[in-house]
Amino acid sequence: MNNGLRRYGVWVVVALVGALCWGMLALSRGETVNAGWLLFAALASYAIAYRFYARFIQNRVLGTDDSRATPAERLNNGRDFEPMDRRVLFGHHFAAIAGAGPLVGPVLAAQMGFLPGTIWIIVGVILAGAVQDMTILFFSMRRDGKSLGQMAREEIGPVGGAAALIAVLSIMVILLAVLALVVVLALAESPWGSFSLAMTIPIALLMGVYMRFLRPGRVLEASVIGVALLILAIFAGGWISESSSYAGFWTFTPNQLVFALIVYGFVASVLPVWLLLAPRDYLSAFMKIGTIALLAVGIAITLPPLQMPKFTEFASTGAGPVFAGALFPFVFITIACGALSGFHALVASGTTPKLIQKESQVRMIGYGAMLVESFVAVMAIIAAAALDPGVYFAMNANPALLGDTAQSAAQAVSGFGFSVSPETLTNTAQNVGEESIIGRTGGAPTLAVGISQIFSAVIGGTALQAFWYHFAIMFEALFILTTVDAGTRVGRFMIQDLIGNVWRPFARTSWLPGNLIASAVIVGGWGYFLYAGVNDPLGGINQLFPLFGIANQLLAAVALTVGTTILIKMGKLRYAWVTALPLAFDAAVTLTASWQKIFSSDPAIGFFAQRAAAAQSIEAGELNDTMLALRAESLDDARQILVNTTVDGVLAILFAAMIIIVIADASRVWYGLIWGRKEPEMSETPWEESHLDSEGNEIEREPVGAGR
Amino acid sequence: MPKSPLLRPLRYAWDYLKEISGENAYDRYLAVHTATHPGKPAMSRGEFYRWRQDYKYNNPGARCP
Repeated sequence: MNNGLRRYGVWVVVALVGALCWGMLALSRGETVNAGWLLFAALASYAIAYRFYARFIQNRVLGTDDSRATPAERLNNGRDFEPMDRRVLFGHHFAAIAGAGPLVGPVLAAQMGFLPGTIWIIVGVILAGAVQDMTILFFSMRRDGKSLGQMAREEIGPVGGAAALIAVLSIMVILLAVLALVVVLALAESPWGSFSLAMTIPIALLMGVYMRFLRPGRVLEASVIGVALLILAIFAGGWISESSSYAGFWTFTPNQLVFALIVYGFVASVLPVWLLLAPRDYLSAFMKIGTIALLAVGIAITLPPLQMPKFTEFASTGAGPVFAGALFPFVFITIACGALSGFHALVASGTTPKLIQKESQVRMIGYGAMLVESFVAVMAIIAAAALDPGVYFAMNANPALLGDTAQSAAQAVSGFGFSVSPETLTNTAQNVGEESIIGRTGGAPTLAVGISQIFSAVIGGTALQAFWYHFAIMFEALFILTTVDAGTRVGRFMIQDLIGNVWRPFARTSWLPGNLIASAVIVGGWGYFLYAGVNDPLGGINQLFPLFGIANQLLAAVALTVGTTILIKMGKLRYAWVTALPLAFDAAVTLTASWQKIFSSDPAIGFFAQRAAAAQSIEAGELNDTMLALRAESLDDARQILVNTTVDGVLAILFAAMIIIVIADASRVWYGLIWGRKEPEMSETPWEESHLDSEGNEIEREPVGAGR
Repeated sequence: MPKSPLLRPLRYAWDYLKEISGENAYDRYLAVHTATHPGKPAMSRGEFYRWRQDYKYNNPGARCP
């Protein structure tokens, strides 16, 4: 008893703190809730999940075995296979999974109030997201770091494998388009933002030359120089925006930025990596860790009250101005990163499994890193919910609803059931050094305003708020461009590999024509969606973000299906619910969302309902009521809507079909395994004894018989 | 380096940064190389980084948005 108390006493306290914080969030009747309750509810929940549930998965479900040598130990070659210190690997893995995703999704989902998003982020990560990351990491590690696609093919079959491959490629294209769209929306008409982001290119080139020729391999020196120049570039952006002669030069329309991004993406994919990609990676990794740490400190010091209500009416009506659709299923696809993100399965089956020292470390690296990402998402929701809701809606609603002036925006916001004065809107814009903040959709500007308010409360006051705003914009844009670079490269290699199956020379990645053509295909793919999104009369984020969410959660369904299949093959049928339950939920969410996007007769939601209205308007030669209600302004708008909704609708059908194919194909395998007609074929690498201790040091052992 | 308890966290942070940025990967390579292949010429620091970087970007891993 005494022993048990000593062992679990602290956990009882953590549980009570967590329960108290959750209770305060749920039951408080006051005007506002303090962010501290949310912060501690999250931390207590994570701690308990990590201590109990993750350990249960590690010991009972996966059965990690530290006497077994990991691929990093067996295949150590000093390059891709190498036992890496767990704390360092944690940093690498976290940097690879956490990008702009956990920052954007929660901001958009805040339109339904802060509670639905918060609950999904915390509960989702504990029961689904972190479980997916940890199990896929473990299974890939047991297979010498095989990719998710390879595992799908080997464990499920060629059909499931092919579906997984198509899923990955199409997600890549949509993902890059949506991220680039966020950048375009954040930088349009903002000379300050455009200038400081453009400066990252010469800074990266300088770092590249430094690390290659001046001081080879001195990564830290180059990064310190790079970060210092970056800060300088943000200040310089402020001077540019105040100078009448330069400000005009650096002010770009959305379509100019689209063009610039497409050219940039293509050039970055073709140039040698040491010149641009590698230095940018370092820059963005340091900025990422630094800013996230700053944000945590800032929130902990200021503990802002959350002004957004717990629930808004849009949670039930589904008529939200940021994106259309009801709480179920759309909160669960809008917030992917931070709760459950299929993309992580690609990371967890990529570089990380080849670097793990000890099997048991999958808990810290797979589950733990995902918890930290979830915490980032919680901070993003705090930053968005701490804003005046009126400002939030004036920034995030479809610009067509808001009009061009502060007066029209304030009026539109009161139509949503919130109030904001035109003066507040102009003051907020002035404080962050922008002409206007109205209709700046995409999530990044909202988060940047939130971050600037939190940071300037700690350092600098209003005087530095504009700096902090552009610091945040730059940091998100930098992340996103890094992802766009890397994603284009991954996509290019996939295309070269794919065509290489038919025509050999194409697969050689050093062959210039192959490089150029494959890069053009990928850049053209996301460039098309980016262009369509920027010019979409219905709002690019409103139309494309749900598609991106569906695609991401589709990949999660593939990963959880692979995980469930392997668990059954391992003879762990009675624990298969650990991945099967999240899979069931994820499939329900994704299929419901796809169903609504395809079949809903509500033209605010259904792609084909929008398409029909557009087609009818074009035929009649004038806009019908539905088109007018959607704020289409001309027949040209209707033609654009016709094309966009056709493409988006077909993609939604494709994604839904992929999910059904993968799950059906896997069910066939499960049926065969469970009812005993098939012997499980395990593709695990055979057991070999480890010679490393838990700190990664070589151990001298007495020669013993095969001790298992 | 004086072993002041105040400096220890800074020292730890510096070592962590060196480790995570790959700055000391070359030192580790050199130690392993001289121990396992004595007498054989080792790569220079520049060569080693080029070798690792080229490999990394020709086998790109995915990363999350």
